[in-house]
Amino acid sequence: MTQTAIHIDNLTKQYDNGRGCRNVQITVGQGEAFGFLGPNGAGKSTLVKMLVGLITPTSGTASLFGDAIGTVAAKRHIGYLPELYRYQEWLTGSEVVRLHARLCGLDKQTTERRIPELLDRVGIGNRGKDRVKQYSKGMQQRLGLACALVADPPILFLDEPSSALDPVGRLDVRTLLRELKQEGKTIFLNSHLLEEVENICDRIALLNNGEILRHGTVQQVLHAQTRWLFKIGGYTPEILPWLIETSGVQLHRAESLPDGERNGGSMGDEIWLEAVIDNEQQVGLITTLIVNQGMTLYYVYPVRERLEEWFMEAVSGLSHRGEQE
Amino acid sequence: MNTIIGMTWKELLRKKVMLMTLVMTVLFLVLFWFIASTLTRDVPLSPTGAVDLVAQYAKGSTLLTLGFFFGSFILAFLVIFSSFSSISGEAEIGIMQATLTRPIPRWKWYIGRWLGYVTFGMLYALLLYVSIIIVTDIHTFVPGNLMVHIQSFLVYAMAVPILITLSLLGSTAFSALGNGVFMTMFYGAGWLGGMVEKFTSVMSLEPDIHQRLNNITGIISFLMPVDALQRKMMAIMLGFDDLAGMVEVGSSLTAGMGLGQVVSGSFIVYAVLYTVILLLWGMRRFNHKEL
Repeated sequence: MTQTAIHIDNLTKQYDNGRGCRNVQITVGQGEAFGFLGPNGAGKSTLVKMLVGLITPTSGTASLFGDAIGTVAAKRHIGYLPELYRYQEWLTGSEVVRLHARLCGLDKQTTERRIPELLDRVGIGNRGKDRVKQYSKGMQQRLGLACALVADPPILFLDEPSSALDPVGRLDVRTLLRELKQEGKTIFLNSHLLEEVENICDRIALLNNGEILRHGTVQQVLHAQTRWLFKIGGYTPEILPWLIETSGVQLHRAESLPDGERNGGSMGDEIWLEAVIDNEQQVGLITTLIVNQGMTLYYVYPVRERLEEWFMEAVSGLSHRGEQE
Repeated sequence: MNTIIGMTWKELLRKKVMLMTLVMTVLFLVLFWFIASTLTRDVPLSPTGAVDLVAQYAKGSTLLTLGFFFGSFILAFLVIFSSFSSISGEAEIGIMQATLTRPIPRWKWYIGRWLGYVTFGMLYALLLYVSIIIVTDIHTFVPGNLMVHIQSFLVYAMAVPILITLSLLGSTAFSALGNGVFMTMFYGAGWLGGMVEKFTSVMSLEPDIHQRLNNITGIISFLMPVDALQRKMMAIMLGFDDLAGMVEVGSSLTAGMGLGQVVSGSFIVYAVLYTVILLLWGMRRFNHKEL
């Protein structure tokens, strides 16, 4: 049975302006990658800051491998890359990592072995000899990852870990996170880069106005949204009710089409139909019925819903950041 | 904790505030050298033709008073400007968010920073103290023996832990800029209180006005004890207690030296308690600080 790495029970942080997060309940197993999503100001960073001991909860409890958050014991389990990452600019990159290693209680031998390894791993390499004030934002973010990893912690809290990186840097970070996951690290990922979350995380939660709106595995939240598109030639309006009745699938004219496509409507037009279908056998039945009716079937393909679309749909129409409507 | 102390030393050595302070110190010592050589050009002789020791003492005392008057400014500014942003500044720009999630209690971080600043400031204070004494000694007579100088140095250097403690406490409450302004104003208020004290000692004022000004300057000294300690340090160095045993001096001599009223030994105990209490208060605030 997987050990619980992060257990959050009704954790609440209430600020005077009404912001913060309320009654958050999440359990993350050891080795799991958990994605935490939400619009700006939803309270994601507030939750992470409580978990790493930077702010005190108003109510509720949480633990990391059974140790109450904020304690020295709990902090031994974590590596943290803050959203607002800056490091002592009067130190070199190597010295910053060394400082973090010493604060974690690593012995000198281990520290000196880990520093070049980590700097290479995060893509800083020989620039570790340079002062931090000469680093770009992206370099500082890479340095932050090295600091988070220096004590080889079992849990990583990463708050927007690639926000300052270029596309190559983002790919590097994604690869690094996959490796860390394979190594058995528990990853708690706050990110606006939904593709990153979709690629790495096993489970996700969506926070809005300080409350968890939805949560589940990435497959669960996306599976329900799988839809299929059919491009048909020689369409006649009476064919749609017949197709629905015969196949038992709720087909309808597609509303969202691939770029450059438009939906016809008259006799003989090319038309796009869509349906949410779980079973691929139903897709086979529909294509057979269309062809048997003498129509032309140009394309059939599943539109795999991206997390981005799910996210947009989930938060659309909601007030964000606690504004009064 | 050694890691935090070492980091603080490295910060002070590499930041420009240290470089600026060293440049200003050299400039000050050069200027002080010229003032000393100008003031001591004519060595007065007694009627018997020997060197007039009283005049030598007076010149040495004047030079030391002048040297430490400006030396205390330099020390205070190094201490204030190196530490005023250490907590709020680091929290504002995000440095602290990464370091305080490390497995160390917050009080250790706070004490480590405090010790780093204090040890560095004390070393600088020693350098400045010795430099002023050497320059004065080259040109004229420096009163006191080694024990006297150890005592007066310790009182002089008490400004370091006091100002660091206040600065760190202020940094837990105010923004970096706000704390810089607060510390400068607060230190300035203490200095102003000391100046008023010196003037009231030599001016002939109505007794009730004198009393009222004394009350005000007394309160200021309790709130910001650095200037009062500076006067105490000068009194120890110049041996006012010994002089008082030989001749009728009282406050007139200290006023004549530009020192005003000199606080008693109990004030040093008060200053130590003041520092300890503010240090504990700062630690408590830092433990509960939301980052």
